[in-house]
Amino acid sequence: MSCLELRDVTKRYDGLMVLSRASARLEEGRAHVVMGPSGAGKTTLLRLLAGLEEPDAGEVVRPAGLRLAMTFQEDRLLENLTATANIRLPHGRLRGRELASFLELERAALLAAGLPVDARPVRELSGGQRRRVAILRCVLADADALLFDEPLKGMDEKTVRQVMGYVLPRLEGRTVLWVTHDERERDLFDDPVLWTVRGGCVRRAPM
Amino acid sequence: MVGRRNSGIGGGGRPGTWGARLLAVAFWLAAWQLLAWAVDSRIVLVGPLEVLARLGSLVVTAGFWASVATSLGRIGLGFLGGVACGLVLAALAARSRVVRALLAPLMGALKAVPVASFVILVLLWVSSRELSVVIAWIMALPIVYTNVLEGIEQTDAGLLEMAEVFGIGALERARMVYLSQVLPYFRAAVSLALGLSWKAGIAAEVIGLPDLTVGEHLYDAKVYLDTPGLFAWTVAIVVVSVALEALVSRGLDAALARWEARP
Repeated sequence: MSCLELRDVTKRYDGLMVLSRASARLEEGRAHVVMGPSGAGKTTLLRLLAGLEEPDAGEVVRPAGLRLAMTFQEDRLLENLTATANIRLPHGRLRGRELASFLELERAALLAAGLPVDARPVRELSGGQRRRVAILRCVLADADALLFDEPLKGMDEKTVRQVMGYVLPRLEGRTVLWVTHDERERDLFDDPVLWTVRGGCVRRAPM
Repeated sequence: MVGRRNSGIGGGGRPGTWGARLLAVAFWLAAWQLLAWAVDSRIVLVGPLEVLARLGSLVVTAGFWASVATSLGRIGLGFLGGVACGLVLAALAARSRVVRALLAPLMGALKAVPVASFVILVLLWVSSRELSVVIAWIMALPIVYTNVLEGIEQTDAGLLEMAEVFGIGALERARMVYLSQVLPYFRAAVSLALGLSWKAGIAAEVIGLPDLTVGEHLYDAKVYLDTPGLFAWTVAIVVVSVALEALVSRGLDAALARWEARP
């Protein structure tokens, strides 16, 4: 069953071809790892799927009511809010027991990811800590499909192990699109669908 | 230890800053007093000691506080109205180019026309009692409108994209994404508009002469050549202005800190 799909999509920026008649069907409930060199069009692929870009030609199919979550190449956090307020943002205004229960979940997530649980706004956190907050916001969102744009870039091995120890169990059974150019990240997932983006084409790679 | 020795006064500020400020103020007060003694004419110039004595005799009267409260209430009402209208109009202008284009000349005019012209014009339309309300409103509106609109326009496009992808609703987007970006602009606008509204409101009272207001007392002091009274009321206006700004700034900062620190 397909969750997201590109059909013969072409995308240019200022006349420069980024994707040329690219097609891809993302199976629902599976992890998809997208690899390719820098500048190959991986982020464009994500932005098209997220609905942030319109294709010049072709079609992007997103089922109606599909809920998305995403980590961008930048953290895109609300600088003057706490980590918990940022992570909770996609959930709207929670009150009472709902809020208390979600706060408990958030605090456990922060501790598991090696982040401090305090009242500091995220602008006072380090770059690496902010990155982890952005990842947790994505993972804890009530989303059907999660899009990750090089989320672990620049993270040391120990932190990667710590973060993914919390994140991976929460990705099981969800549609995940994981963009990276680090081949080691492919091994983070059990039986992922591999895709390569190169020369404007998106291809499903053999396992 | 060095910092503590130099600071002179506890609390905020760099070591020595408060001491230096107090010294500078003391210098000018001394110069003023010396000049008053040199001039030796109570009508032309009175010294700070006499002004302080006059202010002391004023603040123990009920009339003084009633006048300050009346002026403060009216100007405060106009200021709050201006802030509310500025916020609403900025939100509308951010959503609609037509609204923004329509409001641009109006806001430009409100900022460019001298306060005295407004006072005289507005006196043709409203009674002197409402004059300071309208003038304070006119002062606050364009400042809040311009700053808040700037804040909305400067909202990080990346954050708006993030909100779109996560499907964050319009209300929550306004409450969290826009508000967090606009608050620093709003805080600066309120601080600036407050001082301007207060001073322009008093100026309006001096021209409109509504009963039992600070402006009326200032005018009476001038008419009766009551120079100590003129200075004393002026000092009272300055003190209220400084106290108001400190109070509102601290209130806003505390509210902002609470908002930022909530889990």
